[in-house]
Amino acid sequence: MIIKCPICGGDVEVPDDALPGELIDHECGITLEVVNEGGSIKLRPLEGVREDWGE
Amino acid sequence: MYVIKVGGKVLDRNLPKVVESISRELSKTPIVLAHGGGNVVTEYCRRLGVEPKFVTSPEGIRSRYTDRGELEVYVMVMAGKLNKEIVAGLVARGVKAVGITGADGPTLIAERKKRIVVIDERGRKRVIDGGYTGRVVSVNSDLLKTFLSNGYTVVVAPIAIDDEGNMLNVDADQVAFKISSTLRVDKLIILTDVPGVFVDGEVVKHIKADEVGDILSKVGAGMNRKLIEALNAIRSGVGEVVITSGIVEDPVGEVLRGNGTVVSQ
Repeated sequence: MIIKCPICGGDVEVPDDALPGELIDHECGITLEVVNEGGSIKLRPLEGVREDWGE
Repeated sequence: MYVIKVGGKVLDRNLPKVVESISRELSKTPIVLAHGGGNVVTEYCRRLGVEPKFVTSPEGIRSRYTDRGELEVYVMVMAGKLNKEIVAGLVARGVKAVGITGADGPTLIAERKKRIVVIDERGRKRVIDGGYTGRVVSVNSDLLKTFLSNGYTVVVAPIAIDDEGNMLNVDADQVAFKISSTLRVDKLIILTDVPGVFVDGEVVKHIKADEVGDILSKVGAGMNRKLIEALNAIRSGVGEVVITSGIVEDPVGEVLRGNGTVVSQ
């Protein structure tokens, strides 16, 4: 399915079997998170993530 | 003063010789020992019926995923079994030793990682809840200095605490680097299961701080993280960082004889 990028407005191809939390790197440079809002799939910019790991 | 980090594989394979080697150096300099032990946590999770979970980062680093059940085992093993085995080994050699976690004092203050990015079972990037892992944001050295000034060797387990009182699983390398930077130690020794930093199949003897950037692309993900942290530690005032094997007869003595990879200004 094709969804508009919330940042640049361009088309983003989202796999039909995409799950909430899945990430898509868009060509405009933003990483988008797949979210399920009221039963419909939407995209929002990825936030609140750190790349550190425990023991 | 030295900080010595001992990885889980080294504890597993060479604990008696490591504590013997450390106890020999204590007449010359005070030592803080930071330990890992994730492999032992995994073993005890299984024994207690808590199936360990692992996640893989987009960079390919496989790490423990610490949920509430696993955190309980993690704290029991790290603060209990492993920390006290090291303390007991030192005490048996006449060393005044005390074992703490970062929650004591508190000494290691961390932020819980609310969300982390992993590669899921379908090979796709996904963001998930971060569980009970954290990133050390500051070290309160009061308790460490109290013990050190009274002649104790301090053994620190990789458990930190956040501002809500949650105990968190933190990377033992990061613990060692943060304590070293805070205390501005002369030497940080990282005892691993390899003899140093390999580039093109050979151990590099010396890496200057301004050469670290060039070497990062030539080493694996785990060593890459160590080198980045080493660079930060040196810039914070640590004299030098030595990455070397802990699976030899006298690991600390080998460092003083010039073995391993030295990172310095």
